[in-house]
Amino acid sequence: MRLSRALWWIVLVIAAVFYLVPMLAMARFAFQRIPVIKLAPDNIFSKWTIEPLLNTFADPDFRQAALLSVLLAVATAVATAVLLVPTMVAAHLHSPRARKLIEVSAVLPFVVPAIALVVGFAGAFRNTVPFFIRNPVGLVPLYMITALPFTHRTLENGLATLDLRTLVNASRSLGAGWVRTMVLVIAPNIRASIATASFLAFTVVLGEFTIASLLLKNTLPLYLAYAQGQNPQGSFALGLVLVVLSTVFVALSNRFARSVTT
Amino acid sequence: MTRGITFRDVRKTFGATVALTNFDVTVHEGELITLLGPSGCGKSTALRIAAGFEVADSGDILIGDSSVIALPPSKRGIGMVFQNYSLFPHLTVRENLEFGMRVRRVSRAQRATRVDELLQLVRLSGLADRYPHQVSGGQQQRVALARALAVEPRVLLLDEPLSALDATVRVEVRDEIRRIQRESGIATVFVTHDQEEALAISDRICVMRDGRAEQVGTPQAVYRYPATSFVARFVGKVNDLEVELRSSTTVSLRGHAMEIEVPSTTLSVGEARLLIRPEDVRLVAAGDPRALPGTIENLHFGGATTSVEVFITGTGQSIQISDVTRAMNFGVGEEVGVRFDTDRALVIRS
Repeated sequence: MRLSRALWWIVLVIAAVFYLVPMLAMARFAFQRIPVIKLAPDNIFSKWTIEPLLNTFADPDFRQAALLSVLLAVATAVATAVLLVPTMVAAHLHSPRARKLIEVSAVLPFVVPAIALVVGFAGAFRNTVPFFIRNPVGLVPLYMITALPFTHRTLENGLATLDLRTLVNASRSLGAGWVRTMVLVIAPNIRASIATASFLAFTVVLGEFTIASLLLKNTLPLYLAYAQGQNPQGSFALGLVLVVLSTVFVALSNRFARSVTT
Repeated sequence: MTRGITFRDVRKTFGATVALTNFDVTVHEGELITLLGPSGCGKSTALRIAAGFEVADSGDILIGDSSVIALPPSKRGIGMVFQNYSLFPHLTVRENLEFGMRVRRVSRAQRATRVDELLQLVRLSGLADRYPHQVSGGQQQRVALARALAVEPRVLLLDEPLSALDATVRVEVRDEIRRIQRESGIATVFVTHDQEEALAISDRICVMRDGRAEQVGTPQAVYRYPATSFVARFVGKVNDLEVELRSSTTVSLRGHAMEIEVPSTTLSVGEARLLIRPEDVRLVAAGDPRALPGTIENLHFGGATTSVEVFITGTGQSIQISDVTRAMNFGVGEEVGVRFDTDRALVIRS
């Protein structure tokens, strides 16, 4: 008992060091006005500044990229909720086989490289619906697919806790059609899952690089990569902010999930 | 009588299995009909077809005089209570009751009045602001009943609403359902596999087997005059004795010569079976010339009545007898006589 508790602490400390030391290094590089080679333990508290971040925020390229990324993230989260939830509900109710199929295809993005996805996507749409390739909106379906392993699992867990068939039948016997049943009965009962899935989709989009890069869309991760050459301090500062933001999102979604289920 | 709901020659198959066939039943306004049968007999399928959750292969469902077979569940004007707890977990009792009315855009004031009425009807006025998980199973089913009635449906469909409840609560909710059904006068279809429940609650019982209605009648008629051996065995207890059919009105127990008079049958003489209820058999003193001799094997005290098992001498068969406890003055191992009141017995081919 004692030993396992000690072990627990050791693991925790190692993990914390593993994650926090690089972050600290990043923070010092980004936010201390000291040349890299002079960064040392004794000057850890001196000359901190948020100027690199402010400079980045002032960059019009950054603003454009950030705006695009946030819009894409919101669109992806909304599209996921609006399309994936009814699809999964329908599969739960009517077709165990479709449910299985969705389950399998939902993990495919883990194994299929993003480049394959983009090449296929571009090949299919370049000559048929070029709008999808030209307009950044075309990224939304790709991002939905990329986020699918996370969003599907989250929603699946939420749906599994419900006696879906009985609730749907009760709702329909009381005069509600499919849309109302979806909005008034199912969605509120899995709202924690929907919120979590949306947060996860949002976070995935904010960090996605390959697809946007291949389709030449200037999203936030692309800006970060580009700015590393021009303004290394600023891009590291921004990177750090994104890490913190993502952490806050995930924490919020967990908190939300707990407050709903208890 | 005005028609509530009519099943007209409904048929439903699942692959090669026939779930329901030639199903023709009419439930009148104010009437409660039970669909009773073992699992897989088609009773739930019938209910689900009536509700619109399942599509019949052929046949029609009428509510009042109009066909609803082509309508979705939401347009049929039904109220339904389910076997599993079906209250919306994210809504309070009050909000659950309001759900159907909100969907129908009933005004807030009207909704409030109606909810108060319903809560009074099911005697749960104090629980309006609780969530489903904060009330007991029995209370949940009463709320579910009130919720089904909230939209003033033409027909009430109850799909084994008591099966998730424990024994005492079950009887309580059962009686409550009957009282409310009588007060509201709504045509009701009640599905159950519990014959005791069916006998207690129904105006008429429809006993089902293999997707067909075997017999439709009042609880008394079904119990007293079962149309088939299946009905006799499924509704209430019955003794199933091997007999020799001597003439169209007499049988003798296998291994014993004494002739017993039975209701006239069209079966040809020979081997047959006699189905007779435990309460239609009487214990008399040993040596009665009109009684079969036997020995008491077992006594099960059941309160007002006692169940007695008598081994009939020379026949190798035992018989269950249900007798009023007050009149019992026999003990295990005692020699007795057994007399049959056969006017309600049934002779069938063996």
